[in-house]
Amino acid sequence: MSLGFVKWGALVLGLAGLALTVLFHWQVFFWVPTEASMGIVQRIFYIHLPAAWVAFFAFGIVAICSAVYLWLGIEKLDHAAQAAAEGGMIFTTIVLTSGPLWAKLAWGTWWTWEPRLTLTLLLWFIYLGYFMVRNSTDVPEKGKKFAAVVGIVGALNIPLIHLSVLWFRSLHPQPVVARTDGPQLHPDMLTTVLTALAAWTLVFLSLYLLRYGTARLEAAADRAVAATRSPAPVREGVAP
Amino acid sequence: MKGTLVLAWVVARKDLQVELRTRERLAAMGAFVVLTALLFNYAVDRTVVHPGSIAAGLIWMTLILAGLLGLGRTFELEKEDGAFQGLLAAPLPREALYLGKVLSNAVLLAIVTALTVLVFAFFYQVVLPRNPLPLIGVLLLGVTGFSALGTLFSGITAGTRMGETLLPVLLFPLLVPLVMFGASATASLLGGFPASEIFGTLRILGAFTLIALAAGVTLFRFIVEE
Repeated sequence: MSLGFVKWGALVLGLAGLALTVLFHWQVFFWVPTEASMGIVQRIFYIHLPAAWVAFFAFGIVAICSAVYLWLGIEKLDHAAQAAAEGGMIFTTIVLTSGPLWAKLAWGTWWTWEPRLTLTLLLWFIYLGYFMVRNSTDVPEKGKKFAAVVGIVGALNIPLIHLSVLWFRSLHPQPVVARTDGPQLHPDMLTTVLTALAAWTLVFLSLYLLRYGTARLEAAADRAVAATRSPAPVREGVAP
Repeated sequence: MKGTLVLAWVVARKDLQVELRTRERLAAMGAFVVLTALLFNYAVDRTVVHPGSIAAGLIWMTLILAGLLGLGRTFELEKEDGAFQGLLAAPLPREALYLGKVLSNAVLLAIVTALTVLVFAFFYQVVLPRNPLPLIGVLLLGVTGFSALGTLFSGITAGTRMGETLLPVLLFPLLVPLVMFGASATASLLGGFPASEIFGTLRILGAFTLIALAAGVTLFRFIVEE
């Protein structure tokens, strides 16, 4: 991808995402019917659920880009993984702040050891480890490889972590959208949640492209600085 | 494959021989588990909670912390005199180096685990099951899984400025399945339930260990590359 494409792509996706974000907030606050049993607080769901989807989607990108980066050693793929991890961390944080706000009112407690909640918190910490490893090596190349390994091992463990946290009885509402027998939601609610999902996905992709572009520019700048610091070796045996 | 395992054993034997002569790690880890078990006595109000009833969880947490103490030293030995470069330059596949380090870590941790269980039995009147084999199986699987994941990550942290302090941040989120299924199986066995109760749990512990080993064997070469 050329940087021009990245820039324009980020701009277009960002504007579309922003428009849809405004639209779904309007839907959430003024349009969608209020859920009968949980009341007004259920509206947090429209922010919470799409953010969770994007967070896990981002982690998938991190794992795949990291694996191919280690395999082929293409530096751009490391930028791609890093950009996805940063976006993923933002959306995981959105999930982790919107969830307890809702839980306090819906369940009467900020936190329960509920499977998806726990899994998301652990995901946040895996992202944290990814960045800490990345930034704590003297040789940047090493940090990139370390971070890629953390991303891959984290992704491999996600199914097992999911299995183990499921072991505890779940308080979390059962899936209402991604079900085998079709969504069990009021049509307007479904429209709202899908709008929100599209909005968050576009915002994520826009941030992703922006961050990817910046990472590439940073790398180019580092290379340019390195080139000026160590002048080209003087050829021997040639008269000045 | 067979050659790799033989070479892994050579690496492990070297580490264990050094350990046998200095006994530094074992002494530190052994003292650590006894003292931790002692501190639990004061951390838990014994009039409310009987430590024996939460022994399985305490044993596992003690193991994880003692294991962390040992893992931090995995590559310490080779830090001096560029010994690690020598190890990398040796005609030794990276997989063998990784598996050897896993093995030496697991052997040390297994010894410490046996000590931990005995210490808890001694201090807190934990009744050990009549047939110790299932309990040994659960603990050995746990120790192997922990060492497999821990050795990979200690290879990473050894190459960072933060060193061992980074190890729990990387390791703990991924240990959830191990602690959860390990502790629950241990609790069942200490509670006198038959071994048939924990087959499902054993399978998941086994899967965890296999995934950790496979990931380590595949990825270790990328973290020691120069």
